[in-house]
Parts: sequence; C-alpha cells; structure tokens
Amino acid sequence: MNPEPRRITTDVAIVGTGLAGFAAAVFCLDRGIAAVQLGHAGALTYTTGYFDLLGYDRGRSIDDPWRALADLGATWPGHPLARLPRSTIEQAFRRFAEAIGDLGIAYVPPGATNVRALLPTGLAKTTSSIPRTMAAGAAALAEKKRTVIVDFIGLVGFSAKEFVTNFAADWPGLSSAHIGFPDLDGGAEAYPEVMARALEVRATRERLAARIRAVVGDADCVGLPAVLGVHAPDRVHAAMEELVGVPIFEIPTMPPAVPGLRLRELLEQAMPARGLRLVSQHKATRVDLRPDRIDFGYRDNFGEVVIEARTAILATGRFLSGGLVAERSGLRETLIGLPVEQPAGRGDWHRDDCFDVRGHPINRSGVVVDDDFRPLDHDGVPVHPGLFAAGAILAGQDWVRQRCGAGLAIATAWRAVDGVARMSGR
Amino acid sequence: MSVSQASAVIDFKAVADRLLPAGSSYDSCLACGLCSSGCPASGLEGLDPRRFIRMAILGLDAELTSTPWIWTCTQCKRCAQVCPMNIDVSVLVGHARSMWPEEKKPAGIVRSCKAQMLSDSTSAMGVSPEDFVDIVAETAEELRHDDERFAKIEVPIDKQGAFFFVNQNSREPAAEPEEMRPLWKLLDYVGADWTYGSSGWAAENFCMFSGDDAAWKAMVEKRVDAVNALGCKVWINTECGHSFYTLWKGVERFGLKPNFDYASLVTYYAQWIREGKLPVNADWNTKGIKFTLQDPCQLVRKSIGDAAADDLRFVAKTLVGEENFVDMQPCRSANYCCGGGGGFLQAGMKELRHAYGKRKFDQIEATEATYVLTPCHNCHSQMEDLAHHYGGDYRVVHFWTLICLALGILGADERKYLGPDLQDVGLPQ
Repeated sequence: MNPEPRRITTDVAIVGTGLAGFAAAVFCLDRGIAAVQLGHAGALTYTTGYFDLLGYDRGRSIDDPWRALADLGATWPGHPLARLPRSTIEQAFRRFAEAIGDLGIAYVPPGATNVRALLPTGLAKTTSSIPRTMAAGAAALAEKKRTVIVDFIGLVGFSAKEFVTNFAADWPGLSSAHIGFPDLDGGAEAYPEVMARALEVRATRERLAARIRAVVGDADCVGLPAVLGVHAPDRVHAAMEELVGVPIFEIPTMPPAVPGLRLRELLEQAMPARGLRLVSQHKATRVDLRPDRIDFGYRDNFGEVVIEARTAILATGRFLSGGLVAERSGLRETLIGLPVEQPAGRGDWHRDDCFDVRGHPINRSGVVVDDDFRPLDHDGVPVHPGLFAAGAILAGQDWVRQRCGAGLAIATAWRAVDGVARMSGR
Repeated sequence: MSVSQASAVIDFKAVADRLLPAGSSYDSCLACGLCSSGCPASGLEGLDPRRFIRMAILGLDAELTSTPWIWTCTQCKRCAQVCPMNIDVSVLVGHARSMWPEEKKPAGIVRSCKAQMLSDSTSAMGVSPEDFVDIVAETAEELRHDDERFAKIEVPIDKQGAFFFVNQNSREPAAEPEEMRPLWKLLDYVGADWTYGSSGWAAENFCMFSGDDAAWKAMVEKRVDAVNALGCKVWINTECGHSFYTLWKGVERFGLKPNFDYASLVTYYAQWIREGKLPVNADWNTKGIKFTLQDPCQLVRKSIGDAAADDLRFVAKTLVGEENFVDMQPCRSANYCCGGGGGFLQAGMKELRHAYGKRKFDQIEATEATYVLTPCHNCHSQMEDLAHHYGGDYRVVHFWTLICLALGILGADERKYLGPDLQDVGLPQ
C-alpha cells in the first residue's frame, strides 16, 4: 500500500522482547529515553516466573548470591555479572522487580539471601525474587507446613502426586488431592492457561473454591498449579484465599505455563501505555550501521518500516530466541554478523558427559563486549559507538546452568542503558 | 462430517516450506504447546495446533488432509502470534481447506461463497445490485421522513469521484436495513464525501474461508475494479472484521492493482473524534454502564495491528467514559478469536462452535461488563449466541450505534442491540 518505507526515529532501538529487552525498556522509560522495541514472541513465555540472580555454581546451590557474585570473577573470568559492581546489579534487579510490581504482578523483593522456591516436579531451586502468589510455597517448604497440593483432572504439566512423592522425605506434612476443575472435568486434556482465564470469572472461582474446601482437611495451606489468573493474578489469588479460607500458593507448571504468559501479556500491554513504542509481532530483518545512527528494517502488512535509532541495544538472546544460530561451520550472530566467541570446532561444543557439572563450552559462547557492553569486532574495537548488547547473547556465561538468567538480563540491560543514556545526553 | 477418501493427499512438508513465514519451519518446532494452550480450537475433533504440526512432521499427511478440525480452526493466527518460532498453522489449514472436495466442505460456507458469485454485488446473502439500490433508497427515504434533522440526507450510490468508497456487510440490507441509518447519519454528520457502489459493495468474503482461491480472487478483483471505476481515493471497510483482511491480503496475494488506499472505519472514527468532527463524549452514561471491547482478529492481529487496537480503545473510552471501560484479557493482538470467524458461523457446526467460544464467554464474563463493543459482524453474532448458550447477561453493540447515541441522533427504532437500560437514553428531542 505504501511504496516508500515508513520511518521511525528514536533515541534507542531495543532489539528483542525477552527479559533483557523489556528490562532495558523499563530502564529507558525511567530515564526519559525514547525507545522503540521490536521482536517476536521469544523465550520469556517459558519462565517459571522466578527471577534468578545467581542460584547455582560448580554443582552446588548458592544461598548467598551476593558473595557468590563477588567471587565470580575468580572462577568465571569475563562473566558479564563479574564485570559489574554489586551496586549496579542490586539497583537494576531491585528496580526491575519493583517495576513489574507497579505494572501489575507483585514480586517479593530480592533479599540478602536466595530462597528455595518450588518446582513442578517436587524439587526446590534457589532463586532470588518470586511472585507474591508463590511466596507462601517457599515459606511452607521452609517451615514444613501441613500442606495439601491440589491438581486437576486433565491438567497438562503438573502432577500433585509426583510433587508430593518427590518431596516426601523432606516435607512430611505434605499430601495431594486430585479434583475436577469446573467445566473442564470431563477428562480431556486441559491447559493451565484455560483454567487461569476461567478463574478470572467470579463464578468459576466460587465453584472451584468449594471443591478445594472439600479436600483441605486439616492442612494449614493449599498449593495449586499456577492457574490463578493470567491478568491480575494477585487479585485472583486474594479472592481464592478468602473463598477457601487458608493461605494458597502457586507452583509453576511445565511450559506452556501461566507465569510466563502473565509476564509477556503484562509487558506487552503495560509498557506501551507508559510510552514505549513496541513492535511486538516483527523481528528486525535488516541492519544498517551508519556513522551517526543505526537503522533497523522490518516489514509489516503495509510495507517496509525503518527504525532510525541513535543507539541500539541488541537483546536477541541465544539459540532459542534466534540471536545465535549453530551451523555446521560454527556459531553465527544472526542480525548483524557480529563475531561470536565460541569453541574452536564442533567437536569442542560439548563434553563427553551430558551432566558434567562444568557445563558445555558451547553454552558459554556469545558476543564479546567492552566494559560499556558494546560488542567488539575481531580487533577488539567497538563495532559501533552506539551499539550495546545485553542478556543471554553475551559471551562468558552459562545462565541456564548457573540459574542467573534474570540477573544477567536485568543487570546487563541496566549497564547498556547507562551507555545509551550517556550518548543520548540523558 | 469427514472426508473418507480425499481426492489428493497433501504433502504438508512441501506446503509448509512454501507457505510458512520466512525463517520459520517445522524443524524449529519445540513442541512446547504454546500454540495449543492459546488456541480455542484445541481439543475439538481430537486435534490442536501442536498435534497438527507434530503429525505433519511425522508424515501423517493422509490424516491431516481429511481431518475436519480444519473447519474448527478459524485461521485467526494466534498460534503464530505466540509461537517463538513463528510457525503459522493457519496457512496450512487454509491450504488444506482448498484441497477438500467441494461437496465435502461445510455446505454453509460453500453456499455463501456461491451466493457471492451470483451478481456484481459480491453479496453472500444474495442481495443483487438492483435490490441493494432499492433497499438503500427506501431506507433513506424512511429516514428523511422520520427524522427532520436528516430530511435532506443523501445516500450516494455510484457517485463518481467521491473520496470514500464505503462497503456494507450484507446483513444490513438483507435483514435489518434500519441498522444502516446510524452509519449514514454519522457520515452525514462529519460531512464525508462518500459513496456506495452498486457493484462490489458487499463486505463479506466467504470464498476465502471456503478455500476457493479463484473465487476469493474474483471477489476482490470485482471490488477493486468497482472502486477504481468510481475513482475513489479511499476504500473504507465498515464494521466487518474479515472484509479488511480479505481485501488487502487478496490484493497482495493475487497481485491486483488498486488505485486507492484502504482503511478501517474505526481509523476514521478515531480521526473524526480527534478533529472534533464527531463531538462525542460519555455524558449520556450517567448510570456508569460498563463496556468491554472485542478486537476482531482479522482487523487487529491479522491486518492493522496495534494501531487499530489503539484506535478502538480511544473511540470506546471516549464514548463510554474511561472509568466505564474494561478491557477483556487477553486483548489487542493477543486476543482470542471468538469462534465466529473463518466461516464457523456459517458451517453448521454449532456444538463445536459453542465449545470454541467458551473462552470468549469467560473473557467477557470476567470483565463483568454489560455491553461488548465490536466492529465485526461475525464477532457480533457469535458473542450474542454465546450469551444465549451459556447464559450470559451482556449485549453486543456496534460502534455506530453508540456514536449516534452519544451525538443524540440515534432514533428509537435504531436500538435493536441496546438493552432496556439504553432504550430511552439520548433520544432525539
């Protein structure tokens, strides 16, 4: 319809709509930096909802993430989180958790130590900041409260019996109940998302609460798979606690799960309302590094669009989100063609033992950056003065194994926005 | 309904390689299930989007070629919207529909497409150009007679060089012509230079849903030719969701040459309100009646995107008051299809359509709103039917109704979709 490309000018283009991209967007809005963010659905939806700071290293869980971060430089030279002062990490992490709360999902602020939070399989993991709807679960585990875990006929991705069986040795007061969810109890496969939407309806909450009350017995609290609403979960959670009469907590389920949907839908709705220009259905397909700006091109239903940005933050993730691609000849950064730090050859990507506690070299691959988090070329020179990178695409970390995905995304986004702010004069 | 012996087994892998968006392929499917989790057709006919893709990967082409599930998928594209790998099941479903023998396709969709082929109207309800001209003339005459403020209103047809070519869903001329009057009134109110065409005036396009590419092309071609012939600058799609998609997509798909821009009437509602040409506000809503909004997939997710969602909300909030507006969740581009699209309403599969629509019903109920606003006839009909089926206490209303209500120009007999609470509000003095 429009033969000429439409042009959008902005202070910063944020490329990627995962946690790092949205964290960067939050920090940009905080500082009054005009931001355009673009990307298609990414890995954010797969999250448990927990914000990990640093939960695991060299085969051991970490109780004190701050001490572990201070020691990180010695064991992981070049780790992005080891290159940032504690004050930056702490400020970024606290601000992001607070911002998510302001936007509509309350989080327990990160504390001095990690918490042991529940996983759907009946295990616990060390993490830093968890949604309020899940907080009572960590407390129930810590205090070994008499708890009944409830699951639903036909529910995909969570079994109360499995949860209780795996926790049996550690948590004696635990029992399970298997009940039907209103209107979804015919035995057919049912997704948590459908239940969560249904619980946003008052009448469904009342019907489910009656069924839960019937199985509470002498339990002090009730654990449910995470289905307490997608939109405004804190309201649904509070309403259900009132109807059932005991504290309730949520346990994340296997993907496709509600906690990730909550975050994605919240950010996609609430951030544009606060001034972010979000292009949520498109990936950048073309980049032009110009002396004084960086252009990103994409195509929508009406033709070509070019974002002319004074600066940019590359937050395109690693393999799952498409920031890197693994090819026969090696790993490649997909958008700009940045150099990728990687093992010498395919034979070095993985160790022989899949479960080797040291992890696999391929999972430390990524883009090398300077202290301002600007990607470097083969000569160690910033590729562009206004180009920054954040999140999982950065080299020198193994966020999955280290349980540091949120910390990495948020703290490096903060640092990248520092650079953007300097260049934007804000 | 089933196809026991489909005429040709589809090679879905080859189709996917050809039709899936650039950069996405079966190979990248993680089997995570986000598509199925977010798809209201999941579980109907024993299938869901994830199973569809997994079966295709396994080469179960014969089963997929014949599954009736493709007629419960409304091709709303929500699977692609949530898929990290951008795998779009709807295009595969569209292709599968095209390969079904015509006699096995849902008769209602085929019949609607055939009706469109009967005359230059392209009307799925079989309204001929002559009938359309007569109905418009009669209804306009009644309006001039009934309401002295519109005693001189013109409703142009085939006006050469008019700025806007306005289309019309056939439901109004065929079944409820008085529902055209609010549209005409507000076009008159803003002083729009507009016309209908006796050719290509109809909005709907069931040939797209029946999987008949040649007929889809013929319908869009006729409409493009009609607008070109009148020399109009902008084709305005009135309150009909898929009409917009079927035109722009058809133009792109079939390489047609429109000499005009296309726009949704919603875009102009927003523009006219901002310009002060439609001086509406929510003063009439003294009772604080709550409204929610249905984003038609075909208009928002599949066509204009967030810009349309923003305009819809701007118009709705201006009309009913910000404090009386409650978004259903999810919404905007993430909204669920209501189950009225894709020809589902015409396909005669009522039980499945109601099951599909349960999510929409829950979404609406969660808002606790009294009214649902939507600029789409299929959404309108489906959500009304869901209210009847599941016992909902809400009504569905067009934007043009509320705009005229707010302007104080909505006649007493133009309130079919309003409840008793609004029958007397803002009546013309």
